[in-house]
Amino acid sequence: MTPSKGPLAPAPHLAGRTLDAQLHLMDRQVLDHDGVPVTTVDDLELSGPAVDEEIPPGTPAPVLTALLTGPVLGTRIFGGRPPSARLIRIPWKDVAAVDVVLTLGVSGENLDAGWVERWIRDKIIARIPGGRRDPR
Amino acid sequence: MKRLLGVALGILTAIGGFVDIGDLVTNAVVGSRFGLSLVWVVAVGVVGICLFANMSGRVAAASGRATFEVIRERLGARAGLANLSASFLINLMTVTAEIGGVALALQLASSVNYLLWIPVAAVAVWLVIWRVKFSIMENVTGLLGLTLIVFAVALFMLKPDWGSLAGQLVPSVPEQETAWTYSYYAIALFGAAMTPYEVFFFSSGAVEEGWNVKDLIQSRINVLAGFPLGGLLSVAIAGCAAVVLLPAGIAVTSLSQVILPVAEGAGKLGLAFVLVGVVAATFGAALETTLSSGYTLAQYFGWSWGKFRRPAQAARFHLAMIVCLLVGSAVLATGVDPVLVTEYSVVFSAIALPLTYLPILIVANDPQYMGKHVNGRAVNMLGMVYLVIILVASVAAIPLMIVTGGGS
Repeated sequence: MTPSKGPLAPAPHLAGRTLDAQLHLMDRQVLDHDGVPVTTVDDLELSGPAVDEEIPPGTPAPVLTALLTGPVLGTRIFGGRPPSARLIRIPWKDVAAVDVVLTLGVSGENLDAGWVERWIRDKIIARIPGGRRDPR
Repeated sequence: MKRLLGVALGILTAIGGFVDIGDLVTNAVVGSRFGLSLVWVVAVGVVGICLFANMSGRVAAASGRATFEVIRERLGARAGLANLSASFLINLMTVTAEIGGVALALQLASSVNYLLWIPVAAVAVWLVIWRVKFSIMENVTGLLGLTLIVFAVALFMLKPDWGSLAGQLVPSVPEQETAWTYSYYAIALFGAAMTPYEVFFFSSGAVEEGWNVKDLIQSRINVLAGFPLGGLLSVAIAGCAAVVLLPAGIAVTSLSQVILPVAEGAGKLGLAFVLVGVVAATFGAALETTLSSGYTLAQYFGWSWGKFRRPAQAARFHLAMIVCLLVGSAVLATGVDPVLVTEYSVVFSAIALPLTYLPILIVANDPQYMGKHVNGRAVNMLGMVYLVIILVASVAAIPLMIVTGGGS
C-alpha cells in the first residue's frame, strides 16, 4: 500500500441503485427470460486497468462488462486464472433485472454458458425414452 | 372441503414420510439397548426438524430460493463448495443406506438375497424420478408408509407393563451401558430425526410445487401436525424393541430384528403390514435423498433443476441423479452391511447439520429475501437455542464415535 496523498475524492453521484458486487451479484443465480436457470455468477469481468498497472489520473472508472462462468469457478476457489479465451461470458447488456436473482433479457438456449447442459441433453438425456416427456 | 382434504393428505404423508431407514434402525437399536431412556432426544429432534423445515419452507415460499442456492449466496463459492462436498457425500451415504433398506426389506418378504434386489430397487427409484409426477410420488409413498403404524398396534398387542415402560422414560444410563455410548446414541437419534436431506428436499419441494406465501399455512399445519406424529411412530419402534428385545438381551444389528417385535405382537398380518411399510418408507426416502443429491449439486452450480421440468430441460440434474444411484448401488454391491451404513449415516448427518442450519437461519432473517416474512422473535429465540444444541451435537459426535468405537 502506498500512503495516499490526502482523502480520496468522493464517489461521483449517479442516478439509480447502488449494487455491492460481492453481496448482490457474485454467486447469484442467473435465469433467462423464461425463468430457466442458466448458471450462477461465478465471477465478474471489469473493463479498465489490470491489477498492478499504474493508473494515470483522470482514468474513467472501470465498468462491469460481463458475468463470467465456467472454469473460472475452479480458479476462483483454488487460485490461478484461466486464459481469457476459456472464460465463458454473459455480456452485462443482456442482464435485464437484478433482484435476489439476475434475470437475462435473452433466451438461454443460444448462450455459451449453456453448452454443457445442451451437450448432456442432446447426447444422453434426450436419448433415454421419455426424456422429452412433460411430467405435468 | 377440497382444502380440508389437502390438509389431511398433507398431514398423513408427513407422518408416513417422517420415518426412513435411519429412524427405523436407530430407534430399534436404541430401544433394544437403552429402553425408552432416550425418548427425550426424539422429542428434541422433532421440535428441531419442525423449526428447521418450517424456516426453509418459508424461505422457499417467500423468496423462491431453495436451500443450496441460499447457502452459496450467503457463504460464497469457497465455503459453499466445502459445505456442498460434506452435505453431498453424507447425502450419498444416505441414498446408499435407503436403497440397501429397500433391498433388505424385499429380502425379508421374498427370501431372495438382498444383493439381487439392489439393482431392482435402484432402477425402480430412477424410473419413479424419471416419470412420476412429484405430488403423486410424495402422496403414494407417504400414505403407504403409514402402514408403519403397525409398530404402535404391535406395542399395544404385546401388552407390556405400561407402568415400568413409563418408568424408563426418565433420562438415565442403563447399568450395562456407559455414559459415552448413551451420549453417542443420543446424537445418532438426533441426527436420524433431523436429517439434513429432509430440509433440502422440503425447500426444493416447495419450489417444485410452486408454493407461494399463501400456501405457508398449509405447510405449517403439515409440519407441525405430521412430524410430531411421525416422531410418535419412532417412539413406538423404540418401544417395541424395548419390550421384546431389551429383556432378551438382543442388540439390534439387522433389519429382521427391527421388525421381529411386530411379528411377535401382531402376528402374520402385522408382519405383512410392517414389510409394506418398511419398503414404502425406505423407497420414499430413497426417492427423496436421490432427488436431494440432484438438488444440492444443481443449486450450487446454478443448473436447471426440478421434476416439474421435462428431463431434457434439466439434463445435468437428471444425469447427476443417475450417477448417484449407480454409485450407491456399486457401494452396496461390495457387500457392505446396509444397517452399518445407516448407523454411520445418521451420525454424520448430525455432524453436518450446522452447515445447512446456520445459512437458513441467517437468510430467514434477511428482509431482501423474505420481505415481511422474516423470523419473529420467538422463532429466533428457539432458533438460537437449537443452534447451540446442533453445534454441541456436531462437535461431540466424532470424539464420541472414536471413544465408543462406533457405539459398540
